[in-house]
Amino acid sequence: MKNSRYILSLSLLLLISSCESFLDVQPRSSISDEQTIVDRSSAETAIRGVYAALRGHYSTSFQSIGYLSGDNIQWTGSQSQVQEFINHRVNAENSTVSGVWNSIFVTLNRANHVLDKVPSITDPLLTESLKNQIVGEAYFIRALCYFDLARTWGGAPILTRPTLSPNDNRGVARSTQAEAYEQSLRDLDAAELLLPETTNRFRATRKTVWALKARYFLYRSNWAKAEEFASKIIADAANYRLNKPYNSFFANDARGTQESVFELYYSINETNGHRGQWQPQQNGGTRQWAPNDALVALLNNPEIGGTRSTLVARDNQNRWYGNLYYRSPATDPTFVIRIAELYLIRSEARAQLAKLPEALADLNAVRDRAGLAASPASTQNEVLLAIENERRVEFALEPHRWFDLVRTGRAGAVLSISDPNRYLMPVPAEQILIDPILQQNPSY
Amino acid sequence: MLFALGLASECLLAAPAPSSKLPSTLEVAIRGKVTDPNDEGLPGVSIRLKDTNVGTTTDSEGNFQITVPGEDKTLIFSFIGYQTQEVKIAKQTTLRIKLDPDQRQLNEVVVIGYGSQERKNLIGSISKIDPAETKSIPVGSFDAQLQGKVSGVQISSNTGVPGEAVSVRVRGATSINADNSPLYVVDGVFINSNSMQTIGTGGKATSPIADINPADIESIEVLKDAEATALYGSRGANGVILISTKRGKFNQKPKVSFNLSQGWAKAERLWELTTGPEHATLVNEWWINTGQDTPSLNRTFANRPFRPASEGGRGLPEEQQTYDRLGEIFRTASLKNYDISLAGGTNTTKYYIGGGFTSQESILRPITFDRASFKVNLDQKINDKVQIGVSNTFSRTFRNQARAGDGPAGGLLQAALHTPTYLSPYNEQGVLVGRAGFDNVTLLLEHYDVKSVSLRYIGNLYAEAELLPNLRFRSSWGIDYNNYDESEYWNTFLISGSPDGLATSSIGQASTWLNEQTLTYRKKIGANHSFGVLIGNTLQSDVETRTASSGRGFANNSFRLISSAATTTGSSGWSKKNLASFFSRVDYNYAGKYLVDFSIRADGSSSFGAANQWGYFPSVGAAWRIKQENFLKDVNLISDLKLRASYGTTGNQNGLGSFAALGLWSGGSSYQDQPGIAPQQLANPNLQWERTNQFNLGLNAAFLQERVSFELNLYHKYTSNGLLQLNLPATTGFGSYRSNAAEISNRGFELEINTVNLKKRDFSWSTSFNVARNINKIEKLDYPLYYGSRDLILMQQGQPLYSFWVYKELYVDPETGNSVYEDVNKDGRITVEDRQIVGSVWPKFFGGITNNLTYKGFDANVFFSYQYGNHVYNHNRFFGEGGGARDAARIIFANNNNRWQKPGDVTDVPRPDGVNVNNYRDGGSRWLEDASFLRLRSLSIGYTIPTRKIPGLRVYFVGTNLFTLTKYTGLDPESSASSSQNQPGIDLGTPPQPQGIQFGVNLTL
Repeated sequence: MKNSRYILSLSLLLLISSCESFLDVQPRSSISDEQTIVDRSSAETAIRGVYAALRGHYSTSFQSIGYLSGDNIQWTGSQSQVQEFINHRVNAENSTVSGVWNSIFVTLNRANHVLDKVPSITDPLLTESLKNQIVGEAYFIRALCYFDLARTWGGAPILTRPTLSPNDNRGVARSTQAEAYEQSLRDLDAAELLLPETTNRFRATRKTVWALKARYFLYRSNWAKAEEFASKIIADAANYRLNKPYNSFFANDARGTQESVFELYYSINETNGHRGQWQPQQNGGTRQWAPNDALVALLNNPEIGGTRSTLVARDNQNRWYGNLYYRSPATDPTFVIRIAELYLIRSEARAQLAKLPEALADLNAVRDRAGLAASPASTQNEVLLAIENERRVEFALEPHRWFDLVRTGRAGAVLSISDPNRYLMPVPAEQILIDPILQQNPSY
Repeated sequence: MLFALGLASECLLAAPAPSSKLPSTLEVAIRGKVTDPNDEGLPGVSIRLKDTNVGTTTDSEGNFQITVPGEDKTLIFSFIGYQTQEVKIAKQTTLRIKLDPDQRQLNEVVVIGYGSQERKNLIGSISKIDPAETKSIPVGSFDAQLQGKVSGVQISSNTGVPGEAVSVRVRGATSINADNSPLYVVDGVFINSNSMQTIGTGGKATSPIADINPADIESIEVLKDAEATALYGSRGANGVILISTKRGKFNQKPKVSFNLSQGWAKAERLWELTTGPEHATLVNEWWINTGQDTPSLNRTFANRPFRPASEGGRGLPEEQQTYDRLGEIFRTASLKNYDISLAGGTNTTKYYIGGGFTSQESILRPITFDRASFKVNLDQKINDKVQIGVSNTFSRTFRNQARAGDGPAGGLLQAALHTPTYLSPYNEQGVLVGRAGFDNVTLLLEHYDVKSVSLRYIGNLYAEAELLPNLRFRSSWGIDYNNYDESEYWNTFLISGSPDGLATSSIGQASTWLNEQTLTYRKKIGANHSFGVLIGNTLQSDVETRTASSGRGFANNSFRLISSAATTTGSSGWSKKNLASFFSRVDYNYAGKYLVDFSIRADGSSSFGAANQWGYFPSVGAAWRIKQENFLKDVNLISDLKLRASYGTTGNQNGLGSFAALGLWSGGSSYQDQPGIAPQQLANPNLQWERTNQFNLGLNAAFLQERVSFELNLYHKYTSNGLLQLNLPATTGFGSYRSNAAEISNRGFELEINTVNLKKRDFSWSTSFNVARNINKIEKLDYPLYYGSRDLILMQQGQPLYSFWVYKELYVDPETGNSVYEDVNKDGRITVEDRQIVGSVWPKFFGGITNNLTYKGFDANVFFSYQYGNHVYNHNRFFGEGGGARDAARIIFANNNNRWQKPGDVTDVPRPDGVNVNNYRDGGSRWLEDASFLRLRSLSIGYTIPTRKIPGLRVYFVGTNLFTLTKYTGLDPESSASSSQNQPGIDLGTPPQPQGIQFGVNLTL
């Protein structure tokens, strides 16, 4: 039995000495956060990660705030957070609102990591132009984040550094809405300088920056600038045009058509769950929400909807459903900026500048593509109203209606919202609990 | 050297020492036979000459032979389970000894951490359960069968689907984000108890414990206090459940047992629904009511939805049909169970071989649970000092699964229960269609194809050797291997498979290996001092891997495999955890009166931050056997009196991710099908164990030769460093990070009373009763956490875990018909500020009562379990009692027929006025119900046929859940839609536990 005593003490000794390595287990699907963005390859993968984050809220949740809060969509399910947008009685506990808020800051953090680390990489394979492109894209996405924060909530904490520990990027008060917009413009300016003037419908280029700037200045009522930047894209007719019929930009699994200025890419491995909310059960969806009777009537009116009636369809129980997101597998793109929007931006800017014939020409270009006659509007007010109504059907299932009515101050009249404070969404209640420096918007 | 080393339980018993040579003056050879009361020879009985080390054991027939020096000596006959007998030898040389079974619990051997102990010498709080009484309850896993059997252990079945995860809580819950389930140890192997299921079945999960055949289990010990659990260190905080499987005995004739049973189960009752005409009437009423409230809606009698078809309506209410869907999904389920085993042994080998097959249908079509299992346990003595052995359990569990929980696509109860009764299953073209956003029930039942197969091996190989007298070494290797293969196929008739089919497959493997060494030294010095020392170490490694794929786009519904899909995707996962541990226990016993012990375990875990890789878990315990004191020794009324106290620290790391402490970036954030990376989690190098300090005070007493005995335990557990996904401000770009931030306490008592009420020759009656109360409280939580659908569950400092957060409804105003809610902040409006905590899932008391009766060949066991004072949120009613506002989108329950209609109506169902507003508000307390219950959990009656030819032939009947006394209006007061630990007590689309009857035969040869 002596042998076993030796074996025992020997094995105990071995155990103690090998414990340290035994307890050091490293993951295989992740890497340490100490060595992340260090060379060309990691810089490229990191910027893709920023786009992937943008998809997080642009897939469904952010878009749903934009269209549910308008007057086109009805609610058919049981989740009350959806109904709150439609009734304009959003609570600070609304889970969609907090989901979008969270996702925007996830995107911002990823963008800030790229902006923080990529400029200082020294890798011969990372050329100056590639480096500029990656940094420019990060600026563009940060600009879009602040633009969306500003138009949805008003002010937001201005954060330009990545989060490296739990103590970073907290305890920062919200800026004013104007400051958030200014941050967006600063980032757009930075991106414009860095990005190449090429055409890429899935990633930001200088042209994408111009398109967003056109929208930015429209929201800021800087009509001349809005007209100027919209014109830069419309003028590039070789790459951007209103193709007929209306549904050619999305039907038959189309993607990256000339209609598209910026769309987010999805594939079998990067699916877009958006269709599930719209499609009826027979197509594997939940039809959690659907076009309401008023919108169905508008789209099916040959004088108003024209060929845009293709946005809605009927299921096997004769119920209407939205059909912009329909693909199986779920690879529908998210259309962020379409050329039609730039026509309507320029039309509105020109109408505001009292250039009515030019304004009508842009409006009628969009109407013509939908198979409609020219607009009969003639006065400035008529033209502006015609543009508002055109946008309602042209972007019937896209997130514009709410933001349009808010920025033009028409939400009160059109949606019967008596309290203008309700034009802004509430800061998520739990965020205020966690970080009390965040001030809630009035009336919430 | 006759140390019987096979069972660890024998280790601490005084065992006979070698029959060495003694000075031989007047040696007398004595022969004899030891039998049980039925004259059956008893093998393995130890025989020792009093005050010496001279001894022997009986052979397989019960015969023995011993040589004693001279006359006037006393022989001691002892055998586990029998009363020890002392026999004075005068001049006879042949003896006939009959041993009586020992029914005194005091000498019962109880398995403890890394050893065993006689009950009378226990310091800790340990419950021992004989699974034989409950193993016929058709629930799949043995833990679910134990409900009500163990004081202080709350077991909730959640669902009527056999083999699904149950919630087991030993003395409450200690954690928010770590797992609150106890540690399961099978024959020394720490087994996986976390579900391997990845397929969504509406919040439900299969139980890996159901892989174990209850018929193979010899005994179950539940370790509850710190003295008992501290040797399990960082995993002992939620209690430890030790499972010992059956083994043979040395010198035992082969014994074959058969057990066959067959039975049926059905739902006690189903939901009461409105008929089509009633549904339509309610919808019209809601329509007109809302039109009155808001004239701009233009809802009037004239344009009510159910008006004559000629006016463009859906037809008058009385013209509506009623379609029954519930009857289609519920069935009378069949239950089958077959077990066979062979046990025996020679003088150096003992064996147990068991095989079992169980097939249980759920009362909900098409769900089934089948388990085939096979067991081999072997022990072999190499020589007097060395013994080796193996334990092997193989099982294959096959499940036909279906979504019996929350969620629309594929939801069985949604399709059957939530679809309005007036809607035809056919559309205008005569095609079966799903209504209200749910699947069509008929199509669903016909095409459901979700299956899983769990292959499980749990095994252990040990060698035990006596290195020196009293010093024993044991080394063992254990393995728990689980291969879990699941697949789904959804064809185009179903929502999930629309428009062109979907198939998924996932194979998960969880493997654990465990290596353990222990050294045990036990010595008695003089008459009064006895002590033991245990030291040991364990290395454990858990690896979990998973490969999953899915395919969409099938040419037609005949193709089902992913390989025939147009588009396929795949993914994989890997994680690993290592744990290194050292432990020791020292115990001391003075004259059987004063007992103390001290134990400590050191655990090093790869999951924790570098700064806190090692944790230390000490405990100390003491007991005073007052009965042994002189002043009580001769008091016959009192047969035992013992006071116990213990204090110690245990930990919990269950449910914590393998790499939780590290700062990580992950791949998978691809864009345009090219790889992308992104931050995944922030580092927390200080991450460590939860620590639970527990104090236990216990009293054991027995009276009248143990005819009446009770055990009382008072405990206080305080958990600090509670693992918490600490929420971070969203502005950081992270939702949360793992930290040790919560503090939770549990305190309560457990009382167990056992009585032998009658003990006659032909008739006996005994009763066991247990009751426990646990008071749970969140002692520290910096901000509240919300869980469950509609934030129904709130966790807040100062409140118990799992409190319901609702709008408190006071009454329905007979004048207006409106619900009156409590305006907590008195601002004249009912807003989210007025939500408050009303009740929780915790019962005030819970436990069980068992009565055992025997009369001649008959035996009966009547077992009730009960809970008092807990609440369940009946979410089915929230959807089903919408007062017509959900129109064609949901069912209406019959209770809505009792709604307020005109001033003066006194009712608790308000006027239909909308959904999620005013009267039918999301989170209203009307649907929060008292779920106290008293349930006849099992009633079994057996008859042993008195025939000489076949001595062990017994026929029996078992009835399960034959009646339930409850105020709960749902189908089952134990229902919970989710298996997730932070969302208990919400009943939504959950099938009830069925009533069952089974008939069976036991045969032992």
